[in-house]
Amino acid sequence: MGKISYLRLKGSQNFRLRLLLSTLSSTPILIEDIRADATWPGLLSHEVSLLRLLEKVSDDCHVEINETGSKLKYKPGIVMGGRNLVHDCGVSRSIGYFLEPLIVLGLFGKKPLTIRLKGFTNDSKDPSVDTFKSATLPMLKRFGVPPEGLELKIESRGVPPHGGGEIILSIPIVQDSLKAISWIDEGMVKRIRGISFSTRVSVQFENSMRHAARGILNHLLPDIYIFTDHKAGPQAGKSPGYGITLVAETTSGCFISADTAISYASGKEDGMIEDEENKELSPPEDVGEQIASTLLGEIEQGGVVDSTHQGLLFILCALCPQDVSKVRVGQLAPYGIEVLRHIRDFLGVKFVIKPDPSTRTVILKCVGCGLKNLSRKIS
Amino acid sequence: MAKEKKQEGNSEQPHKSHRSRKVGASAKKKSKSKPNSNDELSKEQKKLHNPKAFAFTSTVKAKRLQARATEKEQQRLHIPMMDRSTGEPAPFVVVVQGPPQVGKSLLIKCLVKHYTKHNLPEVRGPITIVSGKQRRLQFVECPNDINGMIDCAKFADLALLLIDGSYGFEMETFEFLNILQNHGFPKIMGVLTHLDKFKDVKKLKKTKQRLKHRFWTEIYDGAKLFYLSGLIHGKYTKREIHNLARFISVMKFPPLSWRVSHPYILVDRFEDITHPETVRMNSKCNRNVTLYGYLRGCNLKKGTKVHIAGVGDYRLDDITALADPCPLPSAAKKKGLRDKEKLFYAPMSGIGDLLYDKDAVYITIKDDFVQYSKDEVDASGTQRVKKRDHGVEMVKSLQNPEYLLDETTEKKISIFGRSEAASCSTDAPDSGNQREALEPAEQYGSGIQDEDGESEEDTHTEDGDRIESSDGEKILQKNLSMKTSDDSSDEENYFTSDHQPPAARNFKEQINFHDGRVRRKAIFENDMDIDHLKDSDDDEADDNDQGSSDTEIKSDKDEDASSHSDFSDEDEDHARDGDDMGNISKWKEFLVERTASRKNVNLMQLVYGKPVSESSNEKQDSSEKEESEDDEFFRPKGEGNKKSKEGIDDGNVDIEDCSKFIHYASEKDWRSEDLIESIRDRFVTGDWSKAALRGQVSEATSGDNGEDNDDVFGEFEDLETGQKYESNQTDRLGNVHKDDELTAEERRRKKLALRAKFDAQYDSSESPDEDNDGKSDTKFSHGQTDGSEYVDKLKEEIELRKQVNMAELNELDDTTRIEIEGYRAGTYLRLEVSSVPFEMVENFDPAHAILVGGLALGEENVGYMQVRLKRHRWHKKVLKTRDPIIVSMGWRRYQTVPIYAIEDRNGRYRMLKYTPEHMHCVAMFWGPLAPPHTGVVAVQNLSNNQATFRITATATVLEFNHAAKIMKKIKLVGYPTKVFKKTALIEGMFTSDLEVARFEGAAVRTVSKIRGQVKKAAKDEIGNKSIKKGGYAKEGIARCTFEDKIKMGDIVFLRAWTQVEVPCFYNPLTTALQPRDKTWQGMKTVAELRREHNLPVPVNKDSLYQHIERKAKKFNPLVIPKRLEEALPFSSKPKNITVRKQPREITAVVMEPRERKVHTLVQHLQLIRNEKMKKRNLKQEAKKKEREVERSKEEQISKKRQREERRGSLRKLGEITALQMSSWLLVLMSSYKSLAAN
Repeated sequence: MGKISYLRLKGSQNFRLRLLLSTLSSTPILIEDIRADATWPGLLSHEVSLLRLLEKVSDDCHVEINETGSKLKYKPGIVMGGRNLVHDCGVSRSIGYFLEPLIVLGLFGKKPLTIRLKGFTNDSKDPSVDTFKSATLPMLKRFGVPPEGLELKIESRGVPPHGGGEIILSIPIVQDSLKAISWIDEGMVKRIRGISFSTRVSVQFENSMRHAARGILNHLLPDIYIFTDHKAGPQAGKSPGYGITLVAETTSGCFISADTAISYASGKEDGMIEDEENKELSPPEDVGEQIASTLLGEIEQGGVVDSTHQGLLFILCALCPQDVSKVRVGQLAPYGIEVLRHIRDFLGVKFVIKPDPSTRTVILKCVGCGLKNLSRKIS
Repeated sequence: MAKEKKQEGNSEQPHKSHRSRKVGASAKKKSKSKPNSNDELSKEQKKLHNPKAFAFTSTVKAKRLQARATEKEQQRLHIPMMDRSTGEPAPFVVVVQGPPQVGKSLLIKCLVKHYTKHNLPEVRGPITIVSGKQRRLQFVECPNDINGMIDCAKFADLALLLIDGSYGFEMETFEFLNILQNHGFPKIMGVLTHLDKFKDVKKLKKTKQRLKHRFWTEIYDGAKLFYLSGLIHGKYTKREIHNLARFISVMKFPPLSWRVSHPYILVDRFEDITHPETVRMNSKCNRNVTLYGYLRGCNLKKGTKVHIAGVGDYRLDDITALADPCPLPSAAKKKGLRDKEKLFYAPMSGIGDLLYDKDAVYITIKDDFVQYSKDEVDASGTQRVKKRDHGVEMVKSLQNPEYLLDETTEKKISIFGRSEAASCSTDAPDSGNQREALEPAEQYGSGIQDEDGESEEDTHTEDGDRIESSDGEKILQKNLSMKTSDDSSDEENYFTSDHQPPAARNFKEQINFHDGRVRRKAIFENDMDIDHLKDSDDDEADDNDQGSSDTEIKSDKDEDASSHSDFSDEDEDHARDGDDMGNISKWKEFLVERTASRKNVNLMQLVYGKPVSESSNEKQDSSEKEESEDDEFFRPKGEGNKKSKEGIDDGNVDIEDCSKFIHYASEKDWRSEDLIESIRDRFVTGDWSKAALRGQVSEATSGDNGEDNDDVFGEFEDLETGQKYESNQTDRLGNVHKDDELTAEERRRKKLALRAKFDAQYDSSESPDEDNDGKSDTKFSHGQTDGSEYVDKLKEEIELRKQVNMAELNELDDTTRIEIEGYRAGTYLRLEVSSVPFEMVENFDPAHAILVGGLALGEENVGYMQVRLKRHRWHKKVLKTRDPIIVSMGWRRYQTVPIYAIEDRNGRYRMLKYTPEHMHCVAMFWGPLAPPHTGVVAVQNLSNNQATFRITATATVLEFNHAAKIMKKIKLVGYPTKVFKKTALIEGMFTSDLEVARFEGAAVRTVSKIRGQVKKAAKDEIGNKSIKKGGYAKEGIARCTFEDKIKMGDIVFLRAWTQVEVPCFYNPLTTALQPRDKTWQGMKTVAELRREHNLPVPVNKDSLYQHIERKAKKFNPLVIPKRLEEALPFSSKPKNITVRKQPREITAVVMEPRERKVHTLVQHLQLIRNEKMKKRNLKQEAKKKEREVERSKEEQISKKRQREERRGSLRKLGEITALQMSSWLLVLMSSYKSLAAN
């Protein structure tokens, strides 16, 4: 056993992405200068929590953090999966932050993964669990992930600052590898579904959000149904809040989503919305309108996925067998670009990126890295 | 035919057969009688063959038969595997294997001779030949050691197993077969040689039959075994070689799962490119080497790690695709190969005409081919000279003896292409010698300068020009080997001539030492660069019109946008410059930079950064990579402002990790009508036809790339939809017909897929070889004509996938294609590997092929491998746990220490001390990871001088793990120290109280099967003597309770499981780093060590089996006390029955008088008879004695007679000898006589 050669990286950016790709490609990484100059240097609590989660689902992974937390050594192990795992995601980021890497990792595990995650189910920064349920999981199915056992169950909701939400995620393993896709037909939006929820506030909030959202969307489509999900009691978590998730389904089976949640943000960090109106929470009507127009914006972009899911789509494409995958996305989001770069660094997969002028979309093509589920046991 | 003749010659002369009448009456008679007899026969047959006899008699049997038939059918089906290789495949590797002295090299030589008409002096390294119009072959001779065999099995596409027919099978063949089977099982063909040693035809026939059947049992019934009858003039017969070549040429090579998923290269050329100076300073320094070979398997990407078999894991420093040294002939319609196309390439064997390097081509001219034709200039006159081709001119000038100074020293000339180089090689010997040592350095110093791949023809024509111009002046030795003075480091080694014309100065010369052959290489520096520049200038000038306008538009737009990326700024500047200045020369100055910057305005490069910086990054640390990436952080226009808001900055590496891209700032009011209209068609409520058109149009345009994309990208961000709409419409109009084309394209693709599927099924549809008539094809095609539906569907899917892949990739240009999918399988590659141990170069042996195998993601990591292993049935012993074995898995070979185990019912892995005799077991060992289903071969001994079968076990990988969980049974033994009622204190079972605590609640048992439970560590109050009382508290005494009181003499057992550590040891086999004849010595087994040090096997006396003698137990009689007896009920009371010995019943018989009479009479008669018998016996005895006496007498007489006879015979002998002897014999006889008398 020789010396381990670490891939040296810098900064806290794209932390999840790096850990995910490092685990998948089993390259040890060494991240330096993690918020070295910040007032609070080192890893933040959600990042540490993510590392803990990785340790939980995988076997023999080594994590070394220096005293200030500004340097991290990570040697990936084998993703084991397993049942009855529980992870507390903490109160600095929502569950969505953890779900994004976890659903990819779970696919390449030894055993199917079933895990209970606790924390915020909805917030304004990360995609909500509703989005995962209605948009992300169908996307996975396109890549040949077996539909049975692919499930996300929301037990209770929780919003910042105190959380209290709980979900159960179960992900099957891929038997051999994913399937390369050619997914360039975004189709036409045939229906829009959504969920508006509220915790520890009046039902009225949901209804007004619904109403406002429909007000915009009804110009375009009659087939809109927004469910209300009013939680009360222990299911409502620990802090008041409300939010809405919209998913547009197209004729070709694409799911384009937009979501947000409003609550009293925790302490220093404040979401995008609070930028304009300081500390003033936006009223539900505005939220509904805003999210509806965000959804329309995403639809206008014209990719097969929304901008949030671009990164995940690229990762899945890169993990395919050595066939050509072809996808169409709208404007490349900054996160998507970062994903593309990291995919090149870790997996050695480069995408051919071609703008499609007539529809103002971008078509990406790649030959997958041929990752196989190696940790799977054969009988 | 020759064989038959021989057979006839050997057999006894056959009798001349009866010649039947051709004419006359008898002939007529016969012809008449024949049909009659036939009729009779047929009638008889008809009688015999009762049609009912073969009909079904039982439905059950019929059903069973049918089931069997379908089962057999299903057995033939395989799940189709996707072979992703496109383009022409790499040459198929034909490995010729066999025990020593069986004729391997001769076979290769004969085959090469058959294909190329060249005589191969010796077989070293792979030999590539073009065997047909669509097929190339690479012959490799398998070395005779097991390591070589393992490596060869990993790259063989076809294995020719040579078998000495006169001797029979040897272990090597079976070993190799076994290795092949476990590494994917490529095609196999047996070849019997040495058949001319048989004198008896019948025996030959029998042997063939026997060997064939043995071969079949090993592989499958009907496996091809080829017979080479014998040698003629030291070679195999032409006809047979021809037939063998045919067999090879029609062979199909199915994809093998390991190889399809891993790139690999069989190295056919190997060079050491270390700087000679460093080698001189330290001959044991790590070397840089280049490896050449065809890429096989799957595509190879840059940055892939490789494993060089027998050396270790390395990262490839550089990969270059070279021109194919042995290209397939053009696809012109003609039958057979022209002589010109019968190429072959074997750099290690020292032949082959051309050697390609990254930047040069070597031409080797053999000694016997160098024939200097007379210069015909004088005879034919000047007109002829003019007619002559440039090339001819060049050769003529070469052949001119004026220039050729020393033919004897340098016969092999390498030319880069220009005539000067050729003349250059006729350098004065002293300068040549000087340079020889230094040249690799030059090669690689200069390599950078001459990177441009200029086409050969161009240079040739230019050569000609120069030759003509310089015809008058003589190019002499002094203007040779010019190196421009800018190479200051090597300056002293070169002499520069000042008065040379510039054209002549610009080349250097190189000499290669390769296998003792001197080769020189000429490299040009400047002029080529200039040429290239000119070319590129022209190209750019062409492009410029469009380019400048594009960039201008671009820059305008950039100004609109709030942020400017660096390159767009540059771009703008250049554009301005170019347009403002009318001066062409100035305008030209910026061309190169401009085009470079123009290229950058490409989405791909925006994302991935400039290719130059990237390539430099690749070599350096990734930390630097990060930095450079940050410098050119992509900021899409229009998003720039948002980003700055979010805090995404060039320098900031600590941005928030968030996949959501929120742009509320750019929210539009979706209530407005025109906005709604703009996306109306994206909804089902909109115009369906428009929407459908939209998708297809975009598909059509997605195909073409180039400049229009660039300027479109400028518009791309622009959200002025009105304009956009119009442009879209124009697009649409133009693209309506494109739509039709697209669907047609789709249909065509599907058709192609179907056709390919059909071809796969009926492989004979396209004859792969040219010189084949249809017969052989139909003979050997074992196509699966009738597969099941499912398999058919899978095949179709795969073919469709392939077609899609091909179509998608074909529309990319070459460089991006290499970036995207890596180097394609089938290309000839040059790999550069640095810091290889010098032993590899030192001990390089071309007879041992170097295998470079690419490693997939995660395969360089180590962990616990879990394999399903079975001891080979021919290996004599079972394998012992922890005895090191050598494992071949994937590309690797390594020594490791396995632990054998077997899975229990409850999923626990129980350790085994030895492998089971005839069963699979699990073996777990530490080593580099390999994916599940990989085949494994285990060997214990590498030495060649071994008669036994060397393969000890075969296995397949089940899974790999980072933790090994193998349990072993453990029995803790304890003795009671104190027994209370049902509680006892047990001592000796545990060593500490902590240990007791660990086992609380565990079940224990005594020898007498009394069950119990461990409760707690005994307190010193109850069990131990307290410390106060002078004793010391003993640790590890456990309090246990039992179901009954136990005795002090009982032994208490606790049965438990303990985990066994798998040793973290693995040792890669570095066989390429030592002389090949030396056997690699790794870790030794304990038994070997004991044998070496003469140590006895330690014996545990208690473990010895002894014969147990048990005394028969003697029980005392049961004594019941009187009182008790009285109290007992009668049934339980001991009855007074005296035990008698054989109770006999004597009954008194009272006889009647008559009866008595009869009885007495009988008695009398008996008495009489007895008496008679007595007498008779006496008589007989007497007679016996008499007879004996007589017999002894007779015996004596016979003895005498025998003696007499012997004497007579001796006498006869004696008569031959001298008289003295006879007299002496007489004396002897007399003495005999006297003796006999006595």
